[in-house]
Amino acid sequence: MPIRRKNNLLVEPPSAATGDIAFNLIVFFLVCASVQPDSGRKQNIPSSETVDSKQEQKDENIEVSLSRTTVSINGDPVKQDQFVPRLKAKLAGKPRPEDRVVVVKSKPETPYQFWIAVTTGIEEAGGVVTLQLEEERTVTVPD
Amino acid sequence: MKIARKTMKVEVPSMAMGDIAFNLLVFFVILARAQDDSALQWTPAKTERVESAGQSKVSIVLDKDEKLYVNGQPIGQSQLEGMVEKLLEGLPAGQRTVLLKIHNQAQANRFEPILEAVSKSGGELVHILEEQRPAAKP
Repeated sequence: MPIRRKNNLLVEPPSAATGDIAFNLIVFFLVCASVQPDSGRKQNIPSSETVDSKQEQKDENIEVSLSRTTVSINGDPVKQDQFVPRLKAKLAGKPRPEDRVVVVKSKPETPYQFWIAVTTGIEEAGGVVTLQLEEERTVTVPD
Repeated sequence: MKIARKTMKVEVPSMAMGDIAFNLLVFFVILARAQDDSALQWTPAKTERVESAGQSKVSIVLDKDEKLYVNGQPIGQSQLEGMVEKLLEGLPAGQRTVLLKIHNQAQANRFEPILEAVSKSGGELVHILEEQRPAAKP
């Protein structure tokens, strides 16, 4: 009886689709890489009505005024590197959150980058940021 | 004499089905991303500490031309509060995150009313910022 020889031929995987597979893998990883999670900073700003209703308390609150490049606490201009320590000193001895309200008043031309830096400093010092916006009033002139 | 017709079996090649499905998947993923605000041009402000913003249903962009967008759609300032309220309707606290993507040179008279509108509509503000790494000391 003849004995069958074992087939020792090398079997290669088909290489015709390798290019397509590589292309698909590139697209897949590009799409995955472009989906980056956003990062940032949470901020809790009390609504303006709440602030208005406590007019008496508002007068006692610390006021931080911002212009394009300068910052002042209760009207006194402060250097940026001294801002947090000065504010911390003013907030010392005020454990209640309602006493730690810092009213931020910005000039219209204040850039967002500067505003973020200052409000970060306020939160770092333990203050609660509250915005004071200029009201727009419509006046009807009688005929 | 009758000639017998040759009947040929024609089958749709099913070999490439997986590839086709995969390509369709990638196509729709890219299409879905094109509807978001990633095409808008703005530069984030820098800060030293940032944390993950998490998931959000509302994303507000104030681009470099100070144009306002909600979830990639242009919108007017007066419509913003109502729009955010509508998008956040029925969501419990903790899931009412609103992502704020404001160009770093935008001015206060433009971005402060946005903050107020989001605050009034009950949104939880998250400023999208870029981490500023401290400069290496020589």
